[in-house]
Amino acid sequence: MGLLDGQVACITGGTRGIGRAIAEAFVREGAKVVINGRSAEKGAQALAEMNAGDSVHFSAGDVTSREVCEALIDETVARYGRLDILVANAGGAPDAAPVASMTDEAMSFAMTWCFWHTFWTMRAAINVMTPQGSGRIMAISSVEGKIGKPAISHYVAAKHAINGLVKTAAKEVGTLGITVNALCPGAIETDVMKADGPGAAEAMGMTYQGLLDLFAAESAIKRLNEVEDVANVAVLLASPAGAGITGSLISIDGGTSPY
Amino acid sequence: MGTLDGKVACITGGTRSIGRAMAEVFLAEGARVVVNGRDATKGAAAVAEMNAGDGVAFFAGDASKQSTVEGLIDFTIGHFGHLDICCLNSGGVAMTAPVAQMTDEEWTLEVDWNLNHVFWGMRRALQHMIPRESGRIIVTSSVEGKLGKPGIPGYVATKHAVNGLVKAAAQEVGTLGITVNAILPGIIETDIVRSTGPDSAVAMGLKGYDELIGMFTAESAIKRPNRVEEVAAVALLLASDAARNMTGCLFPVDGGTMPY
Repeated sequence: MGLLDGQVACITGGTRGIGRAIAEAFVREGAKVVINGRSAEKGAQALAEMNAGDSVHFSAGDVTSREVCEALIDETVARYGRLDILVANAGGAPDAAPVASMTDEAMSFAMTWCFWHTFWTMRAAINVMTPQGSGRIMAISSVEGKIGKPAISHYVAAKHAINGLVKTAAKEVGTLGITVNALCPGAIETDVMKADGPGAAEAMGMTYQGLLDLFAAESAIKRLNEVEDVANVAVLLASPAGAGITGSLISIDGGTSPY
Repeated sequence: MGTLDGKVACITGGTRSIGRAMAEVFLAEGARVVVNGRDATKGAAAVAEMNAGDGVAFFAGDASKQSTVEGLIDFTIGHFGHLDICCLNSGGVAMTAPVAQMTDEEWTLEVDWNLNHVFWGMRRALQHMIPRESGRIIVTSSVEGKLGKPGIPGYVATKHAVNGLVKAAAQEVGTLGITVNAILPGIIETDIVRSTGPDSAVAMGLKGYDELIGMFTAESAIKRPNRVEEVAAVALLLASDAARNMTGCLFPVDGGTMPY
């Protein structure tokens, strides 16, 4: 008996990091889960490691494409018959630089990967969930959705935009049994962090370790967060008790964000 | 096997409504719980209804009094051996009035009940938790901790203050294995709201209780009051090991009412 028995979830960027932790937590609570990722190889590996049989399905695709986002929602419904939970989790921001030297390409890519993918999947999901009269939408935002940090304006702006989208959508579907929330984790050393972090650190004039130390120093717990921290909140929001929580930007950041 | 096996909790205002719902989920997850309330009769009824044997105890007293709050912490530690989870949940207003008509007596009561009670409880609990390098402080704040509303200035001011206290304390004990968080519920039809709501409605210039509830729910996205079980589920998460890295958080349970 799990909290999510019979529920169907779709998670973008679900093969590794935060998305994977959420997928594992959802499966543990009885849900069926579609995880998305760019790499078929990583997808196959994730399925093997999760060892959850027919309860997990991998869908390969790059969510910086609208067609991929919309097809992912369709595939979830085709595979498992419905969609109860969307976790728009994928995102990142390579090519960090101060605003004065930020390229259009870097800004556009971060906005597409973080923000547009969230919008595309959310829109498609709401169209599935509205006739169902129920649903849970979660966007994995960031502490950077609430505060700024030099040299990552593309990430900060994209995550702030996600938070605005979440607040608006929550108002629109609040009486339809659908909740829309943003989870705002502090820094976690995921694959994306390992990929984007060194460049961001360099643009900030520090080492990668220095950046990680800075994130920890800004928190109350003086350490980074962990992917399970986010997954635990995601389970709560997906569960029946989450029905009264919507439009919220929930800080999971060890006491970093001021609000 | 529960997520709170072996844990001990105390809850101010725990015989009914939000505090009671917290007590029940904590008990269901294996914790032992002391609930506090002013009325010994309600306390006895709550203990009987929860039917948790030696796992639950009642401590009588008015949470707006320092002796009650500190007494509750001390009693819990004496009764169950230690304290892991301190829920400072009691609070409310006795009389609604705009600032221009607010009495000193009512203002003082609200400061004692909503703010000082949290400070007294948090201080006493932290003195016990800091040497143990482990603990959870969970404060029941309110959507009014972020918003203003006419007719309840003391409630709004004290809930804002409580949020500040939570943020400050979280920074102080963040590396000691202790988390300090606030839950910010939207309107819930608790016993307190049912008893003080009709007068509050008048003070706010509304026609009656239903219009008061309607005003609160209209501000939400879900257009209904929240439920005590929704708050209790968040309290359970914050109390559990799963939330060891969440602190200083103002966790909304308000159906989409707050702007931030």
